[in-house]
Amino acid sequence: MAAIAVHQFAQCITCHAWSPDHSMVAFCPNNNEVHIYKLFQDKWEKLHVLQKHDQIVSGIDWSARSNRIVTVSHDRNSYVWNQEGSEWVPTLVILRLNRAALCVQWSPKENKFAVGSGAKTVCICYYEQENNWWVSKLIRKKHESSVTSIAWHPNNILLATTSTDGKCRVFSTFIKGVDTKDSKVGPSSDSKFGEQILQLDLSFSWAFGVKWSPSGNTLAYVGHNSMIYFVDDVGPSPLAQTVAFRDLPLRDVLFVSEKMVIGVGFDCNPLVFAADETGIWTFLRFLDERKTSTSGPKYGSQFSEAFGKLYGQSKYGVSNDAVESSRTRGGVHENCINCVVPLREGGFTRTTRFSTSGLDGKIVTWNLESQEDLLNYL
Amino acid sequence: MANALRLYLACIRNTLDAAMCLQNFPCQEVERHNKPEVELKTSTELLLNPILICRNEAEKCLIETSINSLRISLKVKQADELENILTKKFLRFLSMRAEAFQVLRRKPVQGYDISFLITNYHCEEMQKHKLIDFIVQFMEDIDKEINELKMSMNTRGRLVATEFLKQFV
Repeated sequence: MAAIAVHQFAQCITCHAWSPDHSMVAFCPNNNEVHIYKLFQDKWEKLHVLQKHDQIVSGIDWSARSNRIVTVSHDRNSYVWNQEGSEWVPTLVILRLNRAALCVQWSPKENKFAVGSGAKTVCICYYEQENNWWVSKLIRKKHESSVTSIAWHPNNILLATTSTDGKCRVFSTFIKGVDTKDSKVGPSSDSKFGEQILQLDLSFSWAFGVKWSPSGNTLAYVGHNSMIYFVDDVGPSPLAQTVAFRDLPLRDVLFVSEKMVIGVGFDCNPLVFAADETGIWTFLRFLDERKTSTSGPKYGSQFSEAFGKLYGQSKYGVSNDAVESSRTRGGVHENCINCVVPLREGGFTRTTRFSTSGLDGKIVTWNLESQEDLLNYL
Repeated sequence: MANALRLYLACIRNTLDAAMCLQNFPCQEVERHNKPEVELKTSTELLLNPILICRNEAEKCLIETSINSLRISLKVKQADELENILTKKFLRFLSMRAEAFQVLRRKPVQGYDISFLITNYHCEEMQKHKLIDFIVQFMEDIDKEINELKMSMNTRGRLVATEFLKQFV
C-alpha cells in the first residue's frame, strides 16, 4: 500500500504545509483559520490556531530553515508567522493587492516569497531590515487572468507562474540588495526584476500546478483539459512535451525526482508520470489501488446496450430502466485532491515521501519506497 | 424507448462527471467577492464552452461550466397542451421551494423548464457522484411524475364527466 498514514483532520482542507522536521502540520480547514497539529504518539493534537485572516486561507508555506509560516488569504492579505516561545506572532505583509491572494511559496533561500493573486499580478516580498518590514514588489500587466500557481527555480531568481488564461510564464525576480549577482545563472544572467523570460502557450484551458524539477532543468504544469506539460531547456528555445491522459484534470503536480512526477487532482487518486531514458514522459499508473465499484463494468455499457437492442433485448429488457449509479472515484481520498507537498529529508533531490490533502478533509502520507516498479525512477 | 432514455441519461451523466471539476475561485473583477462565474459571466476566460445534449427537439439539456460553478438547464418533454400546463405548474412548485433542494435555481434559464446551479461549495459538502445521481434521478422521475399526473388528470376528468352526464340520462 502506497499510503502509509491517513488522518481526517477536518471536513475540508484547502492547503497544508509541514514543519521542517515533519512533526507538525499546518492546514486551513476551509475557513479563515490555520490549524497546527502535532503528532504525539500516534495521536494528532491541536497546538495552535492562527486567527488573523478574515476570509478563506488559500495558501500556506512553512519555510524549512527559518521555521516561519507564510499564509495568504482571499481577504488580500498575507501574514508571516514567527514562533516566539510557544506562540506564533504574525507580521502583516502589505501586498498592495486589490483582489484575493491565491497561492504562496517561499523562495529556496527563504529570503523572499512569492504570492499569486486574482488581481492578475504576482507579488515578490522580501524583508527590509532597516524598516523591520516585509516589502512587496509587483509583477504587473503580464498575466491576462488570475495567477493560480507559482514555483521557484532552485536558483532563487526564476519564478514560474500559471494562470487561468492558460499560459505558463517564467519571470526573473532579481532584487537588488537581496540577491547577489553570482546567484544568477543560465540565460537569465542580465535580466531585471519582472522581466518575462518565457511564455508557454500550450494549454487551451486554465493552467494550474506548476513545479520545477529538483535540478531546475524541467518545468511541469497541468491544464484543465486533462493534459500535463513538460518543458525542458527553459530559455529562448524551450522543448515542450504534452502528455494527455484519459482521466479527470489535475490540480497540482510534484517532482519526486528528475524522472518522475506525481499529479493530483479531480480524480481523487495520485497519477504517476515518468520519463524513460530518452526523456519521453508517459503516464505510468495510478498510485492508489482503485476501488472496484459495483457499477464499474456497467460504465462502458453503451455498446452492449446497442447489442441488446439488436438481439431482441432478451437480456436487458425491463431492467434497462434501472438507475445506473455513478462510480465513486479514488480510494484513500474521496474528493478532489488539491494540494501535494513533498516530505524531503536530508538529501534534497530525492523524495520518497509526500503528502496530499483534499476536499474530503484528509491528509494522506504516501511512501514510494514500497512501490517496487517505481523505484528505478527515483 | 427505455433504451433511448438510458443512453440520453448516460450521456448526461458522463458529461456531468467531466464537467463537475469545480474549485473555489474568488472574483477577479469585484473586490472580496466570490460568486458563481457561470451566472456573472464577467470574465470570458473563466467559462468553458456550453454543451447541449438533445434527445429530440422537445427534450434537451444544456450544461454550462465555469471555473467555480456549473449550470444545468433541462427542457422536459411536453407532447400536448395538458403536459405543457402540468410541467409548468409542477416545476414552478419545485422552483418555489428551491432552497430545500440546495442545487436548484429559483428561475430557469430562458428557453428551459428548470435549472440547477452547482457551485464549488456543493462539491465540498456533498459527494460528487451523489450529486450527479440526484440530477439524473430527477430527470428520470420528472417524466414519470408528469405521466402520472396526466393519467390521474384524465381519470378524474372522465369521472367528473360521467357523473355530470348522469343527470341527463
